Amino acid sequence: MNRVTQSNLLKIAAVFLVLQTLIMTLSPGVRARTWETDYRWSQWVALAIWGFFTWRAHGAILKRLPDADPYLFPAAALLSGWGLLTVWRLDSTFGARQAIWLGISMLVLYLGTRLPTTLDSLRKYKYLLLTAGLMLTGLTLFFGTNPLGYGPRLWLGCCGVFFQPSEPLKLLLVAYLAAYLADRLPIRLGALPLLYPTLLLSGIAILLLYFQRDLGTASIFLALYTSIIYLATQRRRAVLVSVGFLVFVGVAGYYFVDIVRARIDSWLNPWDDPSGGSYQIIQSLMAIANGGLEGRGPGLGSPALVPVAISDFIFAAIAEETGLMGTVGLIALFGLILSRGLRIALRAPNLFRRFFAAGISAYIGIQALLIMGGNLRLLPLTGVTLPFISYGGSSLLTSFIALLFLLLISNHLDEEPAPLPRPRPYLAFGVFLSLGLFTAALTNGWWAIVRGPDLLMRTDNSRRVIEDNYVIRGMLLDRANIIINSTEGETGSYTRIYKYPDLASVAGYNHPVYGQAGLESSLDEYLRGLKGNPASAIWWNHLLYGMSPEGLDVRLSIDLYLQYRTDQLMLDHHGAAILLNAASGEIFVMSSHPTFNPNQLNEIGPKLNQDPNKPLINRAVQGLYPIDSLVNPFAIAIHDKETLDEDELKNTYEALGFYRAPQLRIQVAEPLLNAEVKDLHVSPLQVALASAALSNHGTVPAPRIATAVNTPEEGWIVLPALGTSFTGIQASAADETAESLIVDGESYWAHTGSAKGADSTVTWFIAGTPPNWQATPMVVVVLLEEDNARLAEWIGRELLVDAMNP
Amino acid sequence: MIATVVLALRFALAIALYAFLGWALFTLLQELKQQGNKLSTQKKPSITIFVNIEKKRESQRYFTQTEIIIGRDTHCDLSVMDETLSAHHARITYHHGQWWLEDLNSRNGTFLNREKLNTPAVIITGDQFKCGNTLFDIRVDTDDAVPENST
Repeated sequence: MNRVTQSNLLKIAAVFLVLQTLIMTLSPGVRARTWETDYRWSQWVALAIWGFFTWRAHGAILKRLPDADPYLFPAAALLSGWGLLTVWRLDSTFGARQAIWLGISMLVLYLGTRLPTTLDSLRKYKYLLLTAGLMLTGLTLFFGTNPLGYGPRLWLGCCGVFFQPSEPLKLLLVAYLAAYLADRLPIRLGALPLLYPTLLLSGIAILLLYFQRDLGTASIFLALYTSIIYLATQRRRAVLVSVGFLVFVGVAGYYFVDIVRARIDSWLNPWDDPSGGSYQIIQSLMAIANGGLEGRGPGLGSPALVPVAISDFIFAAIAEETGLMGTVGLIALFGLILSRGLRIALRAPNLFRRFFAAGISAYIGIQALLIMGGNLRLLPLTGVTLPFISYGGSSLLTSFIALLFLLLISNHLDEEPAPLPRPRPYLAFGVFLSLGLFTAALTNGWWAIVRGPDLLMRTDNSRRVIEDNYVIRGMLLDRANIIINSTEGETGSYTRIYKYPDLASVAGYNHPVYGQAGLESSLDEYLRGLKGNPASAIWWNHLLYGMSPEGLDVRLSIDLYLQYRTDQLMLDHHGAAILLNAASGEIFVMSSHPTFNPNQLNEIGPKLNQDPNKPLINRAVQGLYPIDSLVNPFAIAIHDKETLDEDELKNTYEALGFYRAPQLRIQVAEPLLNAEVKDLHVSPLQVALASAALSNHGTVPAPRIATAVNTPEEGWIVLPALGTSFTGIQASAADETAESLIVDGESYWAHTGSAKGADSTVTWFIAGTPPNWQATPMVVVVLLEEDNARLAEWIGRELLVDAMNP
Repeated sequence: MIATVVLALRFALAIALYAFLGWALFTLLQELKQQGNKLSTQKKPSITIFVNIEKKRESQRYFTQTEIIIGRDTHCDLSVMDETLSAHHARITYHHGQWWLEDLNSRNGTFLNREKLNTPAVIITGDQFKCGNTLFDIRVDTDDAVPENST
C-alpha cells in the first residue's frame, strides 16, 4: 500500500515538473509570439538532477524504511523540484548551485535511511550536538561572511562553499528539547526546575541570533521553543508567556532597534514609502497581483522585479507565475506535510519521538507561515527561507534532514503509540497551523483577485514598461490622420517615436524611466488597448500573454500644418498660443514654448525637471497668468462699461467660466478659487474659451482635443467633449462687442491687453472671426511672457488669417 | 498559436498539481476506510473483576471499556464501600493488547499477588490484587469471548 502510494504520487510530481520545465522551455516563444525563436533548454538539467536523485532516494526509502509515511517524501520532492525550477528560471547560476545542494540533500536522505540508529544517537548526545551547533553559530560572530558580499554575516564559508549554521541549529534545538523533555517530564518536576536548562540554552541561541541581527530566525526559535514546551507539558501558560514576551520584545524593538522599527513601519504603512523601505513588499504584492487566479505561466511573469526573489520572495515569484491556483496547491502541500507530521507525532512509540516529530512539524510549519505571511503582508517581513523551496543550501539540507527524521520516526508497523493523557495541545496546534495556512491562502486571494487591478495600475509597476516593449502602443494622429507619436521597432524592443517633437508639452511622452505625461498619460487606457477593445480580447490577451492587446490609435483635433506655423512664429519666445473652433471647441493649435524633444529624453531627462524655463509645463493649460486690461471687451459686453467694481468684476469672471477648470482630456491647472478678484490668474485655454463666446454669439464651448478613437469592432468612434457649453454673454451683446472690435481693413475682431504679474509683465492677444462669418468660427489666443504687444499681434494675425483662408 | 499551446500546458500543469493532492486525499480516505473496517472487526477487550470483602465474594463486574478506576468514590467505575480504600485507589487500563494495573498513589497501597505495586503491571486471569482490605480476582476474557457487534 505504502509502496504504491509513494510511487504514484512521485509519478504525478514528475509529470508536474516535466510540464513546468516544458512551459519554461517554450516561454521565450510566447513572449516573441512566434515558434521561431531561441528556446530555453538549460533547466532540463535541473529536472534531470531532480529525477535521478529522487528516484534513488525513493528506492532507498522503500527498501530500508518500508513502513515509513508514504506522503512525506513525494510532497517534499515536489516542493523542492518546484523550488529548484523557479530558482533556475530566475537565475540559472543560482539554479545550478541549488541543483547541487538538492543532490547533496537527497544523498544525505539516501544515506540516512541506512542509519536507523541516528535518532537514538541524537537523543543520547543532545547536549554535545546542541553545544556544537551553538559554537558554530557563535563562530559567525567572528568569522561570519555573506555569500552576496553584503547584508548580515550569517554564513561560514571557505573556498566558495558557504554554510549557515543557524539552519541546522533549529533542528538541533528541537532534538535537544524533545530528548530533554522526554527524559525529565515523567519525573514530575515543578515548572521552573524542569524548564530551567532549556531556558538557558534556548536563551543563548536567541541572544546569539539577536547579536547577529538574524531576527527572523530568532523569532522562529522562540516560536519553536514555545510550541514544543506547550505540546510536551500541556501548559497553556507557556504560550501566553511567550506571546507576551514576543509582543514586549516587538514593542521594545520598535523603539530601540532601527531594523525592527523599519520592518514594522514598512509592514503597517507600506504605501507611504513605496520606493524606499516598503519597496520589497509592494513589489511582492504587485507580483502576486499580476499572478491573479491562473498565473502568468512558468517563465512568463516578471518575478525578477521583486528583490531577492530566489530566497525571501520565492513565494511571490511562484504566485506570479502559477497564480492563486498554484499557491493554494502549494499551501495544501505544506498542509499535507504538517498533518502527516502531527500524525506521526501522535502515533510515535515513545515520548522522545513524539516530541521530536511534533517539533519538526512545528519547525516546517512556523517557518513556512512566517515567510509566506511576510510575502503577503500578513506578518512583518523576516528574511527566512521557505522550507524545501527557497534558494539556499543550508536551508534545503536542513529541510531534508528534518524529513529524514520524520520518515525514521514513522517507520514502525502498528506499534502501540505511547500513552497520551491529554491530546488537546496537539489538536490546538493542528488547528493553529491550519488556520495559518488558510489565512495565507485567503490573503493571497485578496491581493491577487480583489486588489489585483488597482495594484497593477500603479505607476511603479514596472510590468507596464515591459509590456510597452512587447505590445504596440496606439498612435496619436492629427485631424488629417498624420502621425504625431507612434511606436516602432521589433517585438521586445519597441520604442516610442515622436514625429513632431515641438508638440511635446501637449502630447507628452511615454518613457520607461520618466513615466508618462500629457496626452500620452491621459489617453493611456486607449493607447494601451485597455479601453475600446472588446472585453473578451483584453481578457484573452491577458490570459495568453499577461499583457494588454494592441493599443488603439487616437485622433486629435490638432491641425499639424497650423501647429507648425504657430511653432515657427513663437520660436524662442516664452508663452502659449491656442487656436480653436469657437462653436465646437475643437482645438486646432495648442502651442507651449519653450518645449523639449521627447526623442532625447534618455539624455535630457534628468535635467528637464530642474530647467528654469519649465519646458515640462504645458503653458496653454497649466500656466496661470494675470489678466488686467484683457477683460475690458468682456466687461463692456456684460456690464456695458469698462471700469467695474469688485462685485461686477467677479461676476464677469464667473460668467466667463474663469472659476472652473476646463474639462479636457489633458491635465489642466486648477482655478484659483480663493484669489483676490483683482489678482485672478487664468490659463490661456480659459481665455480662449471665453473669447470664443464673442465669435459664437455668447456661448462658451466645451473644449475638445481628442476627437476619435479607432476601435477594432466599430472603426472610428467619436470621443465626445467632457464638459458642456454654456452661455457666457448675451448673444446680442456678444455680437455687438465683436463688431465693435473689428480691426480696420481686416475681417476679424481683435483685442490686445497686457497685465502685470508679480515679477514680470505678460502680453495677451485675442482675436476671432466676426459674428456673421459664414465658415468655421475660430478664435486665437496668444500669450507672451514678455511685454511685446506687436509680436503678439503679429503672431495672432498670421495664424488667424492663415486659418481663415485655407 | 504558441501561446495557446502553452496555455493548454499551463492548465495541464494546474491539473497535475491538483491530481497530486487529489490522489493523496483519495489514498488517505482509503486508508481511513481500511482502518475503520479493521477497528470494527477487532475484538474489544473485556474483563471480569470479582470483588471479595473479608474473604467473601461480594459481587462480580464485567467491563468492556479500556479504563476502569477503582475507589471509594461513587463516581468510580468500580466503587467499593470500604473505608480502607482511597477515593481513587487504582486503575486498570487496556493498552498494547494487555490489561495493566496501576496504583493511583493510594494511602494504603495496592498489592498484586501480595506484592506492593510500584509501577504499572500486566495482569492475567487468576491474578489477585488487594486494595485496602478488599481483594479482587481477575478473569480476562480471551479469544472465545463474543466479538462486539460493529453496529
